[in-house]
Amino acid sequence: MSNALEVTNLKASIGDLEILRGVDLTVPFGEVHAVMGPNGSGKSTLCHALMGKSDYETSGDALVDGVDIMGMTVDERARAGLFEAFQYPTEIPGVTLNDLTEAMAASNPDDDGYAARESATTKTLSMNPFRERFVNVGLSGGEKKRSEMYLLGVAKPKMAILDEIDSGLDIDAVREVAAMVEAMRSDDMGILIITHYSRILRYMDVDKVHVMVNGRIVQSGGPEVAEELESGGYTELQAANAR
Amino acid sequence: MTAPTIPGTDDPAWLAARRADASGRLDDLAMPSERDEIWRYLDLDFDPAFDSAPSQPGTVASPDELAEAWTGKIVSVIDGFVTDAGVSTVISASEPTDDGVGTDLFATAYDALAPGAVLIDGDHLGEKVFVDVQSTGAATTFPGVHVEVPAGSEASVVVRFRSASDVPAVVVPRLTANVGDNARLALTVIQDWNYQTRAMGRAVVNLGRDSGLTLSEVGLGAKIGRLHLDVNFIGHGSWAKIYGVYFGEDDQTLDYRYFMNHIGTNTRSDMFLKGAVEDDALSVFTGMIRIETTGVKTEAFQTNRNLILSSGASAQSVPNLEILANDVKCGHGSSVGPLDEDQRYYLMSRGLTPDVADRLQVRGFFEESISQIPHADLRPWIRERINMKYITAQEEGRV
Repeated sequence: MSNALEVTNLKASIGDLEILRGVDLTVPFGEVHAVMGPNGSGKSTLCHALMGKSDYETSGDALVDGVDIMGMTVDERARAGLFEAFQYPTEIPGVTLNDLTEAMAASNPDDDGYAARESATTKTLSMNPFRERFVNVGLSGGEKKRSEMYLLGVAKPKMAILDEIDSGLDIDAVREVAAMVEAMRSDDMGILIITHYSRILRYMDVDKVHVMVNGRIVQSGGPEVAEELESGGYTELQAANAR
Repeated sequence: MTAPTIPGTDDPAWLAARRADASGRLDDLAMPSERDEIWRYLDLDFDPAFDSAPSQPGTVASPDELAEAWTGKIVSVIDGFVTDAGVSTVISASEPTDDGVGTDLFATAYDALAPGAVLIDGDHLGEKVFVDVQSTGAATTFPGVHVEVPAGSEASVVVRFRSASDVPAVVVPRLTANVGDNARLALTVIQDWNYQTRAMGRAVVNLGRDSGLTLSEVGLGAKIGRLHLDVNFIGHGSWAKIYGVYFGEDDQTLDYRYFMNHIGTNTRSDMFLKGAVEDDALSVFTGMIRIETTGVKTEAFQTNRNLILSSGASAQSVPNLEILANDVKCGHGSSVGPLDEDQRYYLMSRGLTPDVADRLQVRGFFEESISQIPHADLRPWIRERINMKYITAQEEGRV
């Protein structure tokens, strides 16, 4: 059986600056993994390079459910089953969340599950008040994350990457987001959480933690890796993996 | 059906005098120069053909879908003549003779040649009035609408401009309104001329004490679609909210000159215009907030945002302030640029093709303005027209 995500030797650069220097990462279906790393280690670049943002020049392989996505446009990757929850979700003035989910369903005519997932996720995440509001406009940090989780539930991707899903949130909101992620966990989806802090990992069960330093995954292991980082920080790993 | 008034016959005295005076001056006037700031950006190299002004209305080719769906009163103005008056008074002595429209070539030609304006006054309030203004042929025409809102009352007026397809014409429309003390006027103007029409529009609204104006201009058609608007905040505490929506394509020039003249104290103006241009179109917004020495405690704001959708299209956005009073609050914002890359990326990451993502973004861009158009029942039609323009441009590969 193929994995939700399989990344091999992924490199990404902007101009002469190489940010990802050969990332290898596998997330099996049904598992929740975390990528941790200090500022500037390339975590957000990993998200955007996988999603296909045009700022980056990339090489290497990335398969979603066995399908190579690297030659695809952003929207093709999304329709192939990849979802990115944004660290800073873009405001779309004048377009309601309903307009957006309607367009998402219309863009995927072969998938007739949108309506059912919309009503189910609206219920679990208490999204009703937000559906007639403009996408991400005037929402608090926590509401934006909730909105991203809602879209994740509606899209029902094969592989979800949650970029800094816990950033800018108070402790209650972090706990809430963790619960939402746990609720999303399913056998036909892989989840990758990108984070600075081990904080969110305290409220959920992750199967694996990967540590990213200077554009590479330098350490992978169970949840205990996060605890070690919590006490030791990144300094030692950074020194050992300098460019 | 009301018999059309033949220009020059049975005129009230004030109109006869205005006509005679203007006729005397008209021959000596030349086409304005593009070197004048007020006419800048316009290609004025055309024959205004004032001598083609008709002496009776032509034949209307097709009924209007908007008028057919209208639930209030409907007035037809064909080639400048009021032919079907849901409102009874066609010309009134109360149309202002000194309405501040100026004495340039087009204003003078209107004064000399217009058959007379539709008057919407105190007898016609309490019901929404739809003025269907049409140009049926190549003749130069002078349609006029005057609204007189008595103190303490409310008026709701839609003016829809259109012309027979593919006929080049010059039109000199005039809209004037006096809004009495503590009165309200909701006015939506839909400029939907064909792409061969040069429309040199002039509008003046005078606001009385504590009165309010909500005005929307929707710019869809015309080869030259010009609207030179003055709002005079004469009465203390008067206010205006002005929303604009325009979409230029082909070689259209959409030229908006909006002058907010704050004379009374405690007055407030908000201008908010959003437009897009593609193909070889040009849009111009020249906003002027002028606060007289008497206009203390004025609050005045203007915002103009433009999307440039093709490399051949351009937009000029020029907000101006002239403040002669102390203790005022003013602000302006202006932007000209392409569609937002971050929005496109975000929407594409949700599975939308670039075309669908851009359509959604364009729709959202206009929504901020369309949702404020005072006549809510017109919004779906306006939304659809603007969206279809963009989708057509996409399908034809221009954007």
